[in-house]
Amino acid sequence: MDCQCCNKKPARIRICDVDDNAVGDQLNVCPDCFNLIKRYMFDMSKPLRATTDVISEVQGLLNATGEKSLATLPEPGGITPVNPQPVPECPECGMTLSEFRAKGRFGCPRDYEIFAEHLDPLLERIHDIQPAKHEGRLPESSGREEVVEKQQSLADLRKQLDEAVAEENYEKAAELRDKINEIESTAKEPK
Amino acid sequence: MSEQAFDEFPHLLGEWLKGTGPDADVVISTRVRFARNVKGFPFTGRASVEQRRDVLKVCEDALKEIHLEQSVLNFELDSLAERKREVLVERHLISRELANGEGPRGVTVGRGEMLSIMLNEEDHLRLQWIKSGFDVDRAYQALCKFDRALEQVVPYATSDRYGYLTACPTNVGTGMRVSVMVHLPALTLKENIDYVFKAAQRMNHAVRGLYGEGTRAFGDMYQISNQTTLGRNEEQIVEAIKAIVPRVLEFERQRRGQLYTEERAFVEDKVLRSLALMRSARRLNVQEMMSHLSMLRLGIDLGIINDVQMRTVNELFILGQPSHLQVNEGRDLPPNERDNLRADLVRSRLSAGTN
Repeated sequence: MDCQCCNKKPARIRICDVDDNAVGDQLNVCPDCFNLIKRYMFDMSKPLRATTDVISEVQGLLNATGEKSLATLPEPGGITPVNPQPVPECPECGMTLSEFRAKGRFGCPRDYEIFAEHLDPLLERIHDIQPAKHEGRLPESSGREEVVEKQQSLADLRKQLDEAVAEENYEKAAELRDKINEIESTAKEPK
Repeated sequence: MSEQAFDEFPHLLGEWLKGTGPDADVVISTRVRFARNVKGFPFTGRASVEQRRDVLKVCEDALKEIHLEQSVLNFELDSLAERKREVLVERHLISRELANGEGPRGVTVGRGEMLSIMLNEEDHLRLQWIKSGFDVDRAYQALCKFDRALEQVVPYATSDRYGYLTACPTNVGTGMRVSVMVHLPALTLKENIDYVFKAAQRMNHAVRGLYGEGTRAFGDMYQISNQTTLGRNEEQIVEAIKAIVPRVLEFERQRRGQLYTEERAFVEDKVLRSLALMRSARRLNVQEMMSHLSMLRLGIDLGIINDVQMRTVNELFILGQPSHLQVNEGRDLPPNERDNLRADLVRSRLSAGTN
């Protein structure tokens, strides 16, 4: 039997409308058309429609575009998808989610941040814990790194202070001066 | 230093083999491992040769800075012969992955082989402390102290949410694995081992063969280790292992007692045949050696054998491995010659009067 949507390919799937426990229309379609019908059937912005109505809409689109590639057909509501699922990629090591799924190993520490939203269900399963959150110890903040950060922020603040003075923005300058004093005094205190 | 430092090495055996420590009748050793990575570099698997070299340099310099260099041996695995790398695997100082890996990578081994630091394995740093017997508290505390010293000089990759970040998400969080090597001949003889596997699994712990993941349990040796590293702190991981392992030990001891009281002739026959065979054999392959050594250990514990020390048996488990035999002999040997040499070694170590 030919597909009742495109009338070209052999039908492989039967769609059956059920209304109040009664079986309504039955239509036989090919897998390609089925994919399109599925998409238009479940347009959340509209009430659920009968399969025959959806098929006429899909037929109209097929006639208009002359092809069936999902990407070129407009989304329900007329929005054309350019890239249906943006692929997250780590800017540091280039790892993508699909590559991680294939290898089971991350490329760099940053990946944990990039893929965070996909990661939690996986971590919850692996570690049999909810939520997937670290409970153990962490390095005591490395003294060396903190010193570097302090030096950088002090340099920044001094530059801003110079600028504020040059602009005669004395209110801002006073604020900056207080901040600088604060950082300098904590830096001198023994830990 | 690589080749030269190695030459003395196969003769010195690790502290953890001495067969002492708590519960040494069943437990060979307790190992605690932390996985750590250096901030600012990709994980080893994605790092270029230059980056791996840089990581190695950062780590080696850090180890020097905490004044470790006088008391350790460093091996650059890239330039170490395959046979010698295998010795380190047989000794449980490095993983097979690190031995067979490529590019700049190394291992630093402390005196007495209690501390080992794998560099550029799957993670940049794998810190490991081994104690003889069931001694998880002391192994953990010792490794913790070392880690605390190292973190002062190496910036680790961490996040508040996920803890220590590791290449594989199965290690993230504490990066901590506690692994207890146990000898379970009675549970194996009585076919209760599957029950232990399943019970451990229900409590998120794994039971594996002697050389870790996917290896067979030669000589009735198994490793019990925690499977989860995230969402529990280090003390909880220690406590969980301390809750599970003693139950396995009790089970094994109970079965040993049962064998001795109810099936005395059966167990004496097994043990004494193994001893007689080991003292007479002219050829032994590695599996045969390990299964008889297992019976010897059981016999020593049950008092059936009185003239062999536990340490001798523990050491033969390592010295009789293929690469140890060949490195000690100073050349590569075909399997049949290895079997001759292994039998010679076992006979000389077990001959009456040497213990």
